Amino acid sequence: MANAELKLAPTAPVSFEQEYAIGKFLSMEARVLDEERYPEWLELLTEDIRYQMPVAISTYRRARQGSTTLKPLFIIDDGFPGLKQRADREATGLVWLNDPATRHLRIITNIEVETTDTPNEFLVRSKFMIFRGRRDKDIASHAGWREDILRQTPQGWRIARRVVHLIERVVIDKNLNMFF
Amino acid sequence: MKKFNYQELVDSEQALQKRSIFWEPAIYEEELKQIFNRCWLFLGHESQLPQPGDFIRTYMGEDDVIVVRGKDKVIRAFLNACTHRGNKVCQAEGGNTRSFTCSYHGWSFNTEGELAGVPLEKEIYDNLPRERFGLVPVARLESYKGLLFGCFSESAPSLIEYLGDIAWYIDVVTDSAEGGLEVVGAPYKTEIPGNWKLPVENAIGDGYHVAWAHAGAMSVVGAIGSGRSDNVLGITANNMGVDQSGAVEIVMNTHTVLTTLDGQSGYALYDHPEPVLAHLEKNRPRVIEKLGELRGRQLYGSETHIGVFPNVQIIQGLNFIRIIHPKGPGKFEVWTYAMCERGMPDATKEIIHDHVRQTFGPAGLLEGDDGDFVEAITHSAAGYATRQMQGFLGMGMGRKAPWDGPGEASPGLVNEACQRGFYDQWRRTMEADNAYEVIGQTAPVAPVTAVVKELRHG
Repeated sequence: MANAELKLAPTAPVSFEQEYAIGKFLSMEARVLDEERYPEWLELLTEDIRYQMPVAISTYRRARQGSTTLKPLFIIDDGFPGLKQRADREATGLVWLNDPATRHLRIITNIEVETTDTPNEFLVRSKFMIFRGRRDKDIASHAGWREDILRQTPQGWRIARRVVHLIERVVIDKNLNMFF
Repeated sequence: MKKFNYQELVDSEQALQKRSIFWEPAIYEEELKQIFNRCWLFLGHESQLPQPGDFIRTYMGEDDVIVVRGKDKVIRAFLNACTHRGNKVCQAEGGNTRSFTCSYHGWSFNTEGELAGVPLEKEIYDNLPRERFGLVPVARLESYKGLLFGCFSESAPSLIEYLGDIAWYIDVVTDSAEGGLEVVGAPYKTEIPGNWKLPVENAIGDGYHVAWAHAGAMSVVGAIGSGRSDNVLGITANNMGVDQSGAVEIVMNTHTVLTTLDGQSGYALYDHPEPVLAHLEKNRPRVIEKLGELRGRQLYGSETHIGVFPNVQIIQGLNFIRIIHPKGPGKFEVWTYAMCERGMPDATKEIIHDHVRQTFGPAGLLEGDDGDFVEAITHSAAGYATRQMQGFLGMGMGRKAPWDGPGEASPGLVNEACQRGFYDQWRRTMEADNAYEVIGQTAPVAPVTAVVKELRHG
C-alpha cells in the first residue's frame, strides 16, 4: 500500500497558506497536463524526480512480501529523462491516435499535506480521476491516489517525487500513455 | 462437415483473410473448442514456482486455471472451479498457499488438488466420496526446459511433438541463458478491445508497421544515454527505405520465427545496451559450444520473435514473454513477462526490466500504439459490408531466403510470411478433426528427439 519511504511523521504544522498554495499548484498542474502543455509540465518537476506507478498485484492479504516470486512491478518508474522521453513522444506529432485531438480531464481532490524532515519539502497525498476522450466515443478513465513530495524552490513549487496508485490490476485501456 | 468454409475464410493461395474471423461470435466459439481446447497452451515458467505451495493463476482460452507446485514438488494445473458448485477456489493471481478454499461453502482443496476439507461433512453427508471431487486437472502438463505448457486434449501429441521445429529456436533462449531462463514476478496485464488473433500476428510477423505505427515512439526510444540504432528491423529512420538483407521470417509447420540474424540488434532500442551486449559476448562462446555456430552467432542476441501457436510469443531482444488471452471475439488480455538469464548480474537484469517496462509495459512507448488499430480492425467488422472484406498479407510471397535451420525462410522483416503462416495454421487447426491434424504429420528433427529422451527420463 503506502510507500514506506514516504511515511514520514509530521515535524511541524502546515500553515493554511502553504496548504492552500499546494492545492492551487496541483490544480494548475492538472490543467497544464489537460491542455497538453508537456514542456511546461516538465518545468514543474525537479531534475532529481522519481516518478513511479506500481502494479496493484492481487495477492491474498496473508501473503508476505518476499514470501513468493511476486516481486514489486512498476508500470512507470522514471527519472526526469524518462518523463521527458514520454513528453517528447507526445510532441512528435507522429502519435496517430492523438489526432483528432484527445480531450483530457483530471480531477484532483482529497489533498492532505504533511511536513517532512526536509524543511522545504512536503508530503502531499491526493486522489485523482483522469478521463480521456478521443474521437467519437473512445472514452477511458482511471482512478487512484498519489503520494507526492513537493519541494518549495525559489522558482515556485516543484514535484520531487510521485507515486501513482491505480485501483485496477488489469489495466482496462489501450494504453496508459498519459501523465497522472 | 466443417462448421465454416475455412478455405473461404483464409485463402492461402491469395493470402486473404475474411474479416468476419475477427468478429463472428460463432467463429470465436469454435476457436475456443478447436484451438484453445486442443492446442498446447503456455502456462508459465518453472522459475515462477520454486517452492512447494507456490501458485499462479492463468487462462487457457477462457478457462481459469491454477498452476501450483504441490507439497511433493510436482507442478500440476487445475481448473479454478469448485467441484461442488463451480465457484472459483482461488481469487489471488499468485502466491504461496497450503490450500485453495471456495468462498461459497468452504470446500477446501490441497495443493495436489485433492478435496481436503468439507465443512460439516459428517453431519450432512453419508460417505461423501471425496476422491471423486478433487479439482479437475488440466489433462496434460509438460515442461519444455522450464516453459510450462498445458493441454486439455488427452489424445494430443506430446508437447515436444507439438513444438516440433520451433524447439530448435526456443533453445536459443532457454539453453543460452546462463544459469537458465528466469521469469520472476507477475506480468503486466492489459485488457484491449480487439480480437486476439490481431496482436498475435502483429507481434510474430509485422515488421512493416514498426516505423509507421510507432513513428512517435521510434523517434524517441533509446534516445537516453548511449543506445539507439537508426536502423531498426532493417527499416531506416523515418521509414524512408528498407534493407531486407540479413534478416528472415521463418515459417514452420505450426509455428513461426522472425529474426535479424546479426547476433546483437535485439538491444538496438535500449537506452543503455552496453551491459547487455557485454554479457552476450561473454556468454557467446559457451552458447556456440552448446548450440553451434549458426545459433550461437546469428540467433543469440538477435531480435528474435518466436511465435508458438496459438497465443504465446517468446521475444528475445525486447526480452519478454507475451501471452494473449482471448476474452470474447472483441476483447483480449495481454500479459507481458520480462525474461532474463538467471546468471546475469542484477544490474543487467534491471536494464532488461527497465526496457520491457519502457517499451511494452501498459504505459510503454510502443505498446500504446498497437491497441488502437487492433480495436479498429475488430470493431469495423461489425459492419456487414466491411465484414465481407478481406485482409491482404501478400508481402514477400514466393520470395525465398537461403537458410540452414529448420523451416522455410523468406527475406527481410518487412515481410508477411509469419503472418501468413499464422493464418494457415489457424485454418488447419479449425479444420482439424483430431489433435494430431493440428501439427500436420511431420516428425521432429533430430536434435529435438534427443530432448524428448531427456524430458522422459529427467
